Amino acid sequence: MSWNFRVSRLVTSFRFRLYLIFTGTIALLTAAFALFYIITEINGFRSTLEREGKLLATVLAQNARLPLFAENREALSLLAAGTARYPSVLFVSINNADGLPLAEVKNPRGNGDGAIDMRVAVTSPGPVFSPEALLLGHAPVDKKREVGQVRLRLDTSAAHERLKKLVAASLAIGTLFWILVSLLSYQILKRVTASFNLLMGGIEEVGSGNLSARVNLHGDDELGRGANAINAMAASLELRELENLALQKELINAMKLEVQEEKKRVMARLIHTNKMTSLGLLLSSMAHEINNPNASIRFSGHMISKIWGDAVPLLNRVWREEGEFYLGGIPFLKAREALGDNALKIVENSDRIDRVVRGLRDYGVGDGALLRPNMELNGAVTAALSVLACQMKLDVRLRTDLGAEIPAITGSQHQIEQVLINLILNAMQAFPDGCGEVVLTTRLDRVASEVIVEVEDDGVGISAETMERLFEPFFSTKLDRGGSGLGLYISQYIVAEHGGRLQLSSKPGRGTRARVTLPVGGGPV
Amino acid sequence: MQFLRFLLVGALLLAPLPALAYDILVLQSLRERGYDEAVKGLKHECSASMRTVVLSDYVEADITRIMREEHPRLVIAVGDRALEIANRLRNATVLYMMALHAKPRPRGSMTGVGMRFDPARYLAVFESIGSKRVGVIGDPSKSGAYLKRAQAVARRSGIDLVVREVHSPKETPAMLDSLRGRVDALWMLPDVTAVSPATTEAYFLFSQGEMVPLVAFAEVYLSMGGAVTLGIDRFDMGKQVGEMARSVLNGTPVDDISTQPPRRVLMKTNDGVLRRLKITFGGGGA
Repeated sequence: MSWNFRVSRLVTSFRFRLYLIFTGTIALLTAAFALFYIITEINGFRSTLEREGKLLATVLAQNARLPLFAENREALSLLAAGTARYPSVLFVSINNADGLPLAEVKNPRGNGDGAIDMRVAVTSPGPVFSPEALLLGHAPVDKKREVGQVRLRLDTSAAHERLKKLVAASLAIGTLFWILVSLLSYQILKRVTASFNLLMGGIEEVGSGNLSARVNLHGDDELGRGANAINAMAASLELRELENLALQKELINAMKLEVQEEKKRVMARLIHTNKMTSLGLLLSSMAHEINNPNASIRFSGHMISKIWGDAVPLLNRVWREEGEFYLGGIPFLKAREALGDNALKIVENSDRIDRVVRGLRDYGVGDGALLRPNMELNGAVTAALSVLACQMKLDVRLRTDLGAEIPAITGSQHQIEQVLINLILNAMQAFPDGCGEVVLTTRLDRVASEVIVEVEDDGVGISAETMERLFEPFFSTKLDRGGSGLGLYISQYIVAEHGGRLQLSSKPGRGTRARVTLPVGGGPV
Repeated sequence: MQFLRFLLVGALLLAPLPALAYDILVLQSLRERGYDEAVKGLKHECSASMRTVVLSDYVEADITRIMREEHPRLVIAVGDRALEIANRLRNATVLYMMALHAKPRPRGSMTGVGMRFDPARYLAVFESIGSKRVGVIGDPSKSGAYLKRAQAVARRSGIDLVVREVHSPKETPAMLDSLRGRVDALWMLPDVTAVSPATTEAYFLFSQGEMVPLVAFAEVYLSMGGAVTLGIDRFDMGKQVGEMARSVLNGTPVDDISTQPPRRVLMKTNDGVLRRLKITFGGGGA
């Protein structure tokens, strides 16, 4: 610790400031008292001198009354000489009523600097009556008659000497007193502020962050109570700190776990998305690969049907002419029916394969977000159902109630199909035991000029917590079953793009209803 | 009712008439306690009708006109100023009292009571306290005759009266000094030259220094160190003049009534002073 720092800390310390105030106040008080004492003493001495002079002059005036009246100079000289023998008297003069000095004595000692002049009138006794007044009983007249004057000059050099001694003594005693009281006050302050410093040390220690520090101060006074309060506060803060640390640690661990889980989920979704992309490409490829042989099969079917149509009259004539014969081990009459039916089935199934493949191709590749003004809603429903035909489970009944007067709307059939496929798939997966009913309804709301598609199931329903997060991307309750968490998110986006609304309402344990509302005639938003 | 009103007004108009007819005109110099006491004694003794005029109440009282219009049978002057005015009244019978400077009128018809006791009264006191040598200071012009009478009485009483004459108050201290060791008592006369306010103290300092009793003429001196005082009883002085007035009103010629000294003496002593001076005083009689 540097010297300057120590000095700075000492100067700013409470103890030092108190000490400065104490010593300063004591010095001021001592100086004031000393000054007051000196002034009082000097005034007292001067007053005493003046009183003494006044007394001397009065006594002299009293004694000189008769000699002055009789103008007896000898007696007056004796009186003046007697008065001049006093050490403080420098000059004595006794004058008559006209101011003429009848007796004067000058004392050789003293220079007369700052001397006090004293004048006392010599008067005839006031209350003494004239013989006439006494005889006649007149009222007394208290009238003093001045018959002369006594003058005294008093030496004040003794006062100056006394002043010097007083100042020196006062300075010495005052300084000694100040030193003693300062030392005493330092000791007292040291004792008084020791507890305070201890308390401040503890507070600073706690304030610097060391919450395990305690103020080691005992007592019932204010400082002791303050120390106890600070200790209690430090203990409480320490406990909170420990609790905060534990909570922080738990939070970090939880966050780590959550991040890992989220990472896994994201990775799963990415993988699933990648799979779906690959599946789309695969579907496109498969459609292409299936369409070629399917076209050949359909052509073959048409050819077989056409050839069979031409061959049947001939074979009929043969049958009539020659009787029963067998084709492929089957009697002609049965073979004739079966072959025709099989040829038609070949064409029909080939058309069906063609539609399925086209649907798969459109789903995988699609025709983009091309909006067409004459999109048939029921057509989109049918196409979606055809895509999902292979997904249909035997235990899930699908019931459709398609409105008859549904007008064409402006929209992308492919995107609406995708929405419907998502909703139907969700409905089909809402049955824990795989057994239930899905109702698909289309209708027209003439008042609102809207068309509505509803997909309703009687499955497990959706809890309120899940309902709040249904439209969040990558949120899914079926991640373990291949769900991506993007179905409803994308569906809502598509419906919104068409200027419509996608609403879900559910009652846990009783089923869910998804409603898609699309404007009639109006374009997309 | 009308009749009663006239009766009342008539009574008020006639009321002063009896006051205008009186026997004695009292001229009083001042409204002072001493004069009032003397006038009170006069009225106590003499029941004749009187009118009192206090001269200090007027700038200039026209006493001659009063005398001419009211015809009092007798004038009593109280005080020196009243006596001076009464002296100017021709053919008026005048009695006086409380007048320090009273002098017999050349043509007579005036008498009264003086302000000084008979010297024998004082000398009796000195005799009773055992003083043989009595110092006294006086102005011959004021107290010369009185001192001669006193010396005559003193000789008869076997007392040596040591007289010092002063002509100015300033001479008094020196005269007192000249009496040191020569007297065993001091007599203070009512003499304005010998006893002035400035020199009064000297008498008592002398008495104290010489350890001799001081006999004075007023009670106030007892408090200053006097041993015995012979004071005037002003009420009795008034009665004394009242007796004279009654006698004059009864027909006695005023010339037949001589001037008298005060009749009654009020003697007071300062027992403390007497005790310090080791004087046993049985009283000189009043």
